[in-house]
Amino acid sequence: MAMAIDNAFEVDFFSYSTTTTTTTTTTTTTTDDDPTCTWNNWGSPVVDWDSFSSERDEFQDLIESMMDDGTELMELAGGGGGVDHETSNSVSIDTMVADEEITNVGEDCKGLRLVHLLMAAAEALTGANKSRELARVILVRLKELVSPNDGTNMERLAAYFTEALQGLLEGSGAGHGKHLVTNGPNQHHHEHHQTDMIAAFQLLQDMSPYVKFGHFTANQAILEAVTHDRRIHIVDYDIMEGIQWPSLMQALVSRKDGPPTPHLRITAISRGGSGRRSIGTIQETGRRLVAFAASIGQPFSFHQCRLDSDETFRPSAVKLVRGEALVINCMLHLPHFSYRTPDSVASFLSGAKTLNPRLVTLVEEEVGPIGDGGFVGRFMDSLHHYSALYDSLEAGFPMQSRARALVERVFLGPRIAGSLARIYLTRGEEENCPWSEWLAAVGFKPVNISFANHCQAKLLLGLFNDGYRVEESANNKLVLGWKSRRLLSASIWTSPDSDL
Amino acid sequence: MKLSSAKGASPSHNSFHSKRRSRHIVPPFQSPDQLEPWSSVAVDMHNNTNTNNYHHHQLQNIHTSTSLSSDYSGAGEEPCATGDKWASRLLMECARALSDKDSSKIHHLLWMLNELASPYGDCDQKLASYFLQALFCKATDSGQRCYKTLTSAAEKGNSFDSARKLILKFQEVSPWTTFGHVAANGAILEALDGETKLHIIDISNTLCTQWPTLLEALATRNDETPHLKLTVVVTANIVRSVMKEIRQRMEKFARLMGVPFEFNVISGLNHLGELTKEALGVLEDEAVAVNCIGALRRVAVQERGAVIEMFKSLGPKVVTVVEEEADLSNSQHDFVRCFEECLRFYTLYFEMLEESFAPTSNEKLMLERECSRSIVRVLACDDEQDSGGECERRERGRQWSDRLKEAFSLVRFSDDVVDDVKALLRRYRDGWKLTQPLQDETGLYLTWKEEPVVWVSAWKP
Repeated sequence: MAMAIDNAFEVDFFSYSTTTTTTTTTTTTTTDDDPTCTWNNWGSPVVDWDSFSSERDEFQDLIESMMDDGTELMELAGGGGGVDHETSNSVSIDTMVADEEITNVGEDCKGLRLVHLLMAAAEALTGANKSRELARVILVRLKELVSPNDGTNMERLAAYFTEALQGLLEGSGAGHGKHLVTNGPNQHHHEHHQTDMIAAFQLLQDMSPYVKFGHFTANQAILEAVTHDRRIHIVDYDIMEGIQWPSLMQALVSRKDGPPTPHLRITAISRGGSGRRSIGTIQETGRRLVAFAASIGQPFSFHQCRLDSDETFRPSAVKLVRGEALVINCMLHLPHFSYRTPDSVASFLSGAKTLNPRLVTLVEEEVGPIGDGGFVGRFMDSLHHYSALYDSLEAGFPMQSRARALVERVFLGPRIAGSLARIYLTRGEEENCPWSEWLAAVGFKPVNISFANHCQAKLLLGLFNDGYRVEESANNKLVLGWKSRRLLSASIWTSPDSDL
Repeated sequence: MKLSSAKGASPSHNSFHSKRRSRHIVPPFQSPDQLEPWSSVAVDMHNNTNTNNYHHHQLQNIHTSTSLSSDYSGAGEEPCATGDKWASRLLMECARALSDKDSSKIHHLLWMLNELASPYGDCDQKLASYFLQALFCKATDSGQRCYKTLTSAAEKGNSFDSARKLILKFQEVSPWTTFGHVAANGAILEALDGETKLHIIDISNTLCTQWPTLLEALATRNDETPHLKLTVVVTANIVRSVMKEIRQRMEKFARLMGVPFEFNVISGLNHLGELTKEALGVLEDEAVAVNCIGALRRVAVQERGAVIEMFKSLGPKVVTVVEEEADLSNSQHDFVRCFEECLRFYTLYFEMLEESFAPTSNEKLMLERECSRSIVRVLACDDEQDSGGECERRERGRQWSDRLKEAFSLVRFSDDVVDDVKALLRRYRDGWKLTQPLQDETGLYLTWKEEPVVWVSAWKP
């Protein structure tokens, strides 16, 4: 059983600085831009009921009764609210704690307000009575209440969601084509310094098991599938910095069974303008991997395969060698990844099928059951998803709020924007099914996740907060979740004709 | 001190009209506190001494509509269409939900309105705030109590000075009230021309700002100045001390003008229908004019006919009626329709205030607060419970005409009066116009941005 956990490959490998860089760039929007908006006069949302001493009681009752009804609102929007949420530290979405005093906005109260406002904004943007002006006004109000850098998880999260919605509102006139990489219209705002990105990635790795979970589960399955092969060829859909592979190489170098030191070839799929979100280009990644392989004595070669400008994958462009075990590695939704359009992914996976791979490793985010909640339903699900994500980060590192804010700013914020943009663009359509379902539907066969793999995942989670869960949701699928919210799944497949 | 009469009257005018040319029509503007009852002295059209003051007072270009949508550069947004505005949308939805008794929807909308509203924000936010208050009261059946609280709070802060300042400022920036004054005065003067004993019964809410101009005209038009008795009928809101001040100033001004003058106040009435000739002190040899500004709408709907009959029983030579153009008579039976009309009217009014006053004007805020009380009154108060008058159920000019036609017949405003009104409007910002519906000829309308807002008419028995 080759386990790669203990090799702290990532730290030394890229010579990342391990100190947290503190950044001073801010992305808060100020209300100075909006001279007509004079919300500043009052802190609480209550209308100037000053003259109204005796009316307060009734209004309080009304507000409280509204909050009790709030659960219904939430459930309605969530389309039956499939997943039962446990409340975590500071996000209580569906358990209401109604404060006695209206003017004392407790944390939970505020969180609930924010959720309601976000939902109202999403509704205004796309609902039956859509009104962009109303959406705009709600977003103005939200911006007043939240900041991406301060406050509770919910407040910071709401700030990003507000910004994402704002982007949708402004950009929705400009017909985004579906083939564009929807990283969010405010992509250009987030050209982060390299040091920021490096630091944020480091933090993400340290604070959460998401990245490692995806990589280790895939690698373990790969190792198990190629035990007797001399030549291994991995086609990596989105190699990014190539972090996944050093540990695999080390495992291959030190494997006991089968032919020693098999030759490893990695073909990285590259895209036209994709260099922006990753730290450095694919060539640099290749160079690093080559250097690393050389340093441990792993026979290795690195190739690139260019996608067309519209991200169509041409399987013929992949150089195959007879006798090699072909592995398709598809990491989709790790927190620091860019969003890839469904068409691009579909093109890749269907092309991959024609190559008859030995193994397909797929990591993607888990989406809750939406039913026919439409945009608002998916929006709320996305909100739940990311709030669980935020909570998981906070649980691990409750004091390092600035570090978390950095990760949020560099990775999660843009992801939220991209995620919402995608949901918005596809709002009239059938919900995209998960890729694992898609793979099953086009004929890929599931491959069981080994006991060892499952154990490895559990061990990994043990290094982090015990709010993390891993479960086998199907024979070939492990799902990582925070408390009761499923967040990321890793599944293993083989081509229909394979004899695995 | 009679001002010289104008020269060059055209042959078609009789001597009265030519003399009228010399009479100023422009209402008084605010000025430092002097002997005059309210303001600076009347300006003769030919006497330029004070025209500079007017240009001075004439309002600067106030910033235009402050709707948030003006920042938005998206295509297809029409900031002026009420239907597109978020506040009116939400408010109408809530009104419908109330009418349908859809309680979860009501809660949701009230909550959302509460989040987005502010009495200190832009027009939309203000409307949202005040109408939210009314909707909330309606939903919780607390309109009566709310109204009482608001009223008493307002009265606490009320004083002669503040009331005076408010109305003068309003008249300075907007012809909303002066329009009615000028037209009514014109009609009254024409109807009572040649009479020696005049008795004007004033049932209005403009604190006698209408009369200095008239007194001036009386003083200047004839060699023999008639005697004027002014009986002011006060409704519950105005405090006695305010009237005391007004009396002093009016009497002083009349002395200055050299007009024999008598000033009476009738207060403590429960409703107008109680008035009688005796109570008003109407004498046989007096030529009576009844001046009703914003007063008929305060009469309970079912009593309006009786009040008009009462007017008739006073034997007036002319009855002038000024009202605001909105139909809010029907709140009990069709809440949504009434709500919609109320929203329409007050949207216009608030936008007008927004464009007429400076952004941080305290007077504007006071006027808005006044509206908030009216809005609560109309939408959330049950008339049957009410015992204090002040129901504020406006009707449109056409509706009032139908009522008045029962007892009176319409008097057309003369061309001179129309010219005077037009001259008045020229002193204000763009957007104000006078329209005269030709077919039925039911009086004159003041329009703001093409919407009729104030209606004035004159009637004779």
